[in-house]
Amino acid sequence: MINEEALGWVVRTRDPDFADWDAFTAWLEADPAHASAYDAVMLADSELDSLIPPEPVAMPVAANDPGVRTRRPLRWIGGGAIAAALVATVSIAVLNRSDIYSVTTRPGETRVIALDDGTTVELNGGTTMRFDRKDARFAALDTGEAAFTVRHDVANPFRVTVGDTVFEDAGTVFNIVHTDAATRIGVSEGKVIYNPQAEAIALPAGRALAEDAQGLRVMDIAPAAVASWRQGRLVYANAAVGDISQDIGRSLGVTLTATPGARAMRFTGTIRLDRDPALFFAQAAPLMGLTAVRQGEGWLLQEGPTKEGNGPQS
Amino acid sequence: MATGLSAIFMANRPALLRFLRARGAGEDAEDLLQDMWMKLEAKDLGPVSDPLPYLYRMANNLMLDRYRSATRRERREQDWAEGAGGVMADPTEDIAVDDRMVLNEQLDQARAVLRDLGPRVEMVFRRFRIEGVGQRVIADELGVSLTTVEKDLQKAYRAMLTLKQKLDTE
Repeated sequence: MINEEALGWVVRTRDPDFADWDAFTAWLEADPAHASAYDAVMLADSELDSLIPPEPVAMPVAANDPGVRTRRPLRWIGGGAIAAALVATVSIAVLNRSDIYSVTTRPGETRVIALDDGTTVELNGGTTMRFDRKDARFAALDTGEAAFTVRHDVANPFRVTVGDTVFEDAGTVFNIVHTDAATRIGVSEGKVIYNPQAEAIALPAGRALAEDAQGLRVMDIAPAAVASWRQGRLVYANAAVGDISQDIGRSLGVTLTATPGARAMRFTGTIRLDRDPALFFAQAAPLMGLTAVRQGEGWLLQEGPTKEGNGPQS
Repeated sequence: MATGLSAIFMANRPALLRFLRARGAGEDAEDLLQDMWMKLEAKDLGPVSDPLPYLYRMANNLMLDRYRSATRRERREQDWAEGAGGVMADPTEDIAVDDRMVLNEQLDQARAVLRDLGPRVEMVFRRFRIEGVGQRVIADELGVSLTTVEKDLQKAYRAMLTLKQKLDTE
């Protein structure tokens, strides 16, 4: 059994800003058993270290796997707000006769879209976005990756719709990746608000947010690492190889798959992009502790150092 | 030692002593206070922004260390008595395959527990417990009240500690 009062004091005293030591002393003095109850919970707390998954590992899930349902944990929270927002968007669209057009890049191709308001959107390869000729403050990222340099306007914020999620700028440079399995955003300047109508999580420069099958989490990111693909580099801190291989595929325009073992591995460092896939993988794969082998038109990333002969065993 | 800190230590000596006694130090309270004084002298700390909470925190940590080493000694003796050898495995050392499977299984269970708490509670817990961010900051980040953050943390701790107890008794 967990002593609830002791738990309360553990939560309070573990706060770096805790200051009410008089109240804590008074509680301890009320009953000699309180001190040992507190010690017991504190000890159990320190032993949680090995039990907390360091960062949720993105487990590879086959897209057509019926057994595992991709969790969309936030849909229900903002359900009402999203429904209301949809109604509003539809009616405005009817009134203003919005003029939506979409832009698609092939894998390996990049494109810069300059919107009328001075905002630029850089699309990485394999990306589809929608814009509105009548409303320069609207953008939707349907799939792929894009970097946004937004001209800020308090009265009329720039909003990016990504699936059910809305990101609203507050004077900003940021990058969004959207795949079937995950949405990731990194902010390098200014601030972005995640779902302003619902959770309203503020992401200042140097913060990143990921939403995937494991749920929603916020983490730190080096501002220079945000949208580094624009400079021909991919920069990572403890990123899953599964995510990295998707980034590589998008940026280089190669079909890249990774074995489940390789996908679960993590990498910290900078990968220099190279237009020549053979040259690129010769450099990048050993960096990640992996081996890349050509498979027909595409490439396969697998665990372990290079082995001789990947064809039929001689 | 920063003169400010030493003055505050002296001025609050009775209160700190009272705290250590309440904390279960018993007749060792005076000795522990002396230890604290020596540590402060040896460290030569610069100015500390909140000196009194700093001193209380230090006293509290001393008591936690005491409790921890006593518990560890007890467990070692128990292991010895049970013939388990009493060697504590370093988690960073290479773990045998079946231990690793058990560990993975436990992590999966922990992951499920955290997931069931809902995304906000999980995020609050991670920010606080892993990244060491204060509750005030977390509340501001999420735009919720301090009470909500505290309740979320209690909920998450309760769930994780219950899981830990369950795993320990398995």
